[in-house]
Amino acid sequence: MKEICFASVAMLALAGCTNLERSRDLANPDINPEVTALQVCSNCHGVDGNSVSPNFPRLAGQQEVYLVAQLEGFRSHHRSDPAGYEYMWGISRSLTDGQIKGLAEYFSRQTAKSNIATTEPQMAAGRKIFEQGIPEKETAPCFACHGANAEGMGAFPRLAGQHEDYLVKQLHVFQETEGRPGTPMKQITHLLSHDDMVNVAGFLQAFPASH
Amino acid sequence: MQGPMAQRIARVFGKSWVVITVFIAVLTLLPADGWALPLFARQTGQNCLACHAGGQFPELTPYGRKFKLTGYTMGERATVPLAVMGVASSAKVASTAGSSDIEADFPHNGRFEFTTASVLCCGKITDNIGTFIQWTWDRFDHLNDQGSWVSKSHADQIDLRYADRFIDKNQDLIVGLSLNNNPGVADVWNTHNSAFTPVPTYVPVSNPSGNAGGPFVDVPAMPIIQSLGQASAGATAYAFWNNTIYGEFGLYKAADKAFSAFGEVPAGEIDSFLRLKGLNPYWRLALNHDWGANSAMVGLHGMSAETYSDAEDMSSPTARFTNYGIDGQYQYILDPHVVTAMFSYTHEKQRYADALWNTSNPEYLGAFANSSNTLDYVRAKLTYVYQAKYGAALAYSSIRGSSDSILYSNPAAVPNSRLWAPEVFWNPVQYVRVGVQYFMWNQYLGAKSNYDGNGRNAKDNNTLFLYVWAAY
Repeated sequence: MKEICFASVAMLALAGCTNLERSRDLANPDINPEVTALQVCSNCHGVDGNSVSPNFPRLAGQQEVYLVAQLEGFRSHHRSDPAGYEYMWGISRSLTDGQIKGLAEYFSRQTAKSNIATTEPQMAAGRKIFEQGIPEKETAPCFACHGANAEGMGAFPRLAGQHEDYLVKQLHVFQETEGRPGTPMKQITHLLSHDDMVNVAGFLQAFPASH
Repeated sequence: MQGPMAQRIARVFGKSWVVITVFIAVLTLLPADGWALPLFARQTGQNCLACHAGGQFPELTPYGRKFKLTGYTMGERATVPLAVMGVASSAKVASTAGSSDIEADFPHNGRFEFTTASVLCCGKITDNIGTFIQWTWDRFDHLNDQGSWVSKSHADQIDLRYADRFIDKNQDLIVGLSLNNNPGVADVWNTHNSAFTPVPTYVPVSNPSGNAGGPFVDVPAMPIIQSLGQASAGATAYAFWNNTIYGEFGLYKAADKAFSAFGEVPAGEIDSFLRLKGLNPYWRLALNHDWGANSAMVGLHGMSAETYSDAEDMSSPTARFTNYGIDGQYQYILDPHVVTAMFSYTHEKQRYADALWNTSNPEYLGAFANSSNTLDYVRAKLTYVYQAKYGAALAYSSIRGSSDSILYSNPAAVPNSRLWAPEVFWNPVQYVRVGVQYFMWNQYLGAKSNYDGNGRNAKDNNTLFLYVWAAY
C-alpha cells in the first residue's frame, strides 16, 4: 500500500513537470502570453483587465503601444516608481519581447468597464481640467494627447475608467520623482496641486461613456 | 560545557542594550530598497509586500493567497531554493515571586538573546509542484541534568503541494493537494490556525515558551486543531472557485513511521494526547469577497481527532476531540495603508475512554475527573501598517473550559485565561522586523488574583516581549 502511494506521488510529480497550457512560469519563452495573462496577470489586473483594487491599474482597452513601453520599462528598470518596482520588476524581468507584445495585445483588446462615479463638483472641476487644462499652471488640456474620450493614442495611455487613486499616485510620481522619465508629464504636472490631481483623476475614473 | 568562542558570544549577547543599539544603527544604514530578497521574493522578483499584507508574515494579500493556492509555482524556479530566518528576543515577566527555581520557571527572564534560526527550502519545483519546508534550530530547547540549556533542530512547517488552475473569462478554479504536518497550515487566511506560532499576535517567532521566551506568551490550553503542528502528517485536497468559495478536506495521522520526518520529535516522545490514532478528518469551508481595496472572508473549520493517552503505547486508552469553529478576516490594502482584522472561535468537545476517568474501572488511570470536557478558544487581532514599515497591533486571546479538578490542578480547576497583547513594530528594511509586544493577563487559570493558591496574580504573568526577526 505504501509503495503504491509513493509511486503515485512520484508519477504525479513527473506528470507535473511541464504544463505549458496552464503555466505560471515567468521565465519560459515558450509560454503563450495569453496563458500568462490568465494565470498570473489576472491575480491583480483581473482576467479581463478590469482590476478590482485601485492598487493595480486597469489594463482593459489600454493602448497596446503604451503597454509594451511600460512592460519594457519595468524589465529594464527604466520605470522605477514604487508600484512598479515592488510588483512589476519581478514579473517582467524574464519576459521576451514576443511575450510582452502578446500581453499588451491581450489587454488592449479587452473591453473597459465603467468605474465608480464621483461627486458632481469633482466631476465638474475635473472635466474643466480635462477639456481646458490650467493655463496659469502651464497644464495643457489632457484630451490633446489622451484623446477626446480619454481613450489614449499610441504611446499616450487610455485614462478613461482608470482608478482615481492610481492616477493621483502616478501624477505625484511624475511631479515629484524621476521614476517615470521620458514623457511630457513632468512638465504637465509640475504646478498642479493635489486637489487638481484628485479632481481630474476623479473625472477620469468616472469618465462618462457618452462623453 | 561551553567552549571559549561560545562563552565570548554569550557575553556579547548578554549585553542586550549594546546588541540592540548596534543592530538598529546598522539597520538604519542599510538601503531602503530590498535588493536582498528572501526566497519567494527571489522566485518572483517582487517585494515581500506583494504577497504579504503590509510586509507582515504570514498575513497574505489576495495575490499572496493565489501564490500559495497555486502551489508556490508563480515565477521562475530559484537556482538555490534556500532561505534562512532568525530571531533574537527577550521576554521579561512582571513578577518571579514565589518561584523556587527562577531559571526553570522563567527561562532567561529579561535577557535579550539569539534564540532561533530556520532554514527554508521552498518554492517552485515544476509548473504544478511547489513546497514550503522549514527546519528550525532552537537554541534553548530544554535543560539537561546538569542544568545547562541544550539546543535542538527539528522539522517545522511542511507543506508540499500539487496544484493546477483552470481559468478563463467565465470562471476560475484552483485545485490542489497538500501534504503537510499541521491542520490549517494549507489555509491562506492565517486565522483559525496560524501555522507559525500559537501566540495570538501571529508574530513570526518561534514559540517563546519553549525557548527562553517565558511561559506566559500563550494561553495554557487550546483545542486539538491548534495543537497538532509537527506532531501530525496529513494530506488535504482543496479547491478555490471564482475567488469566492474555498473548501478543504483531509486526513491526518501521527507523524510516525514513513512520516517521521514531518514530526518535531520521535513519535514515542509526542506529548500525551497528541499522538493521533488512525486517520483523522479535518475540514474547512470559506467564503471570500474582494471589492475595491477590500477583501473579506468568513469561514468554518473543524476536525475530529482521536489520540493516545500514552504516545509510546498504541494500546493505551484514547481521547476523542471534536472541533467546530468559525473564523473571519477583513483586509484593506491600498498603499500606504494596510489594515487587517482577524477573528477565530473554536469550540472543542473532549470525550475520554472509560479507564481515563471512571474510578470504578479496574484499570482506572485518573487522568480526568469527568467523562468529557469542553474548551472554547477565541482569538482576535487588529493591525495597521503604514508604508509597510511602521505597524501597530492589538490582539486578544481567551480560553474557557469546563471544570475538571484532575485535568487542571489549579484551585479554580478551569483553564480560563484572557490575554490582551498590544504591539508596535518597525520594518527598517523589508526582511527585518523589530517589535515589542506586551502580554497582559486579566485572568489566568480561572482567577484574576491568587490563581495558584500561593498568592500569584494573573497580572504577575504579564510579559514584555522584545524581538528582532530577520530573513534572507
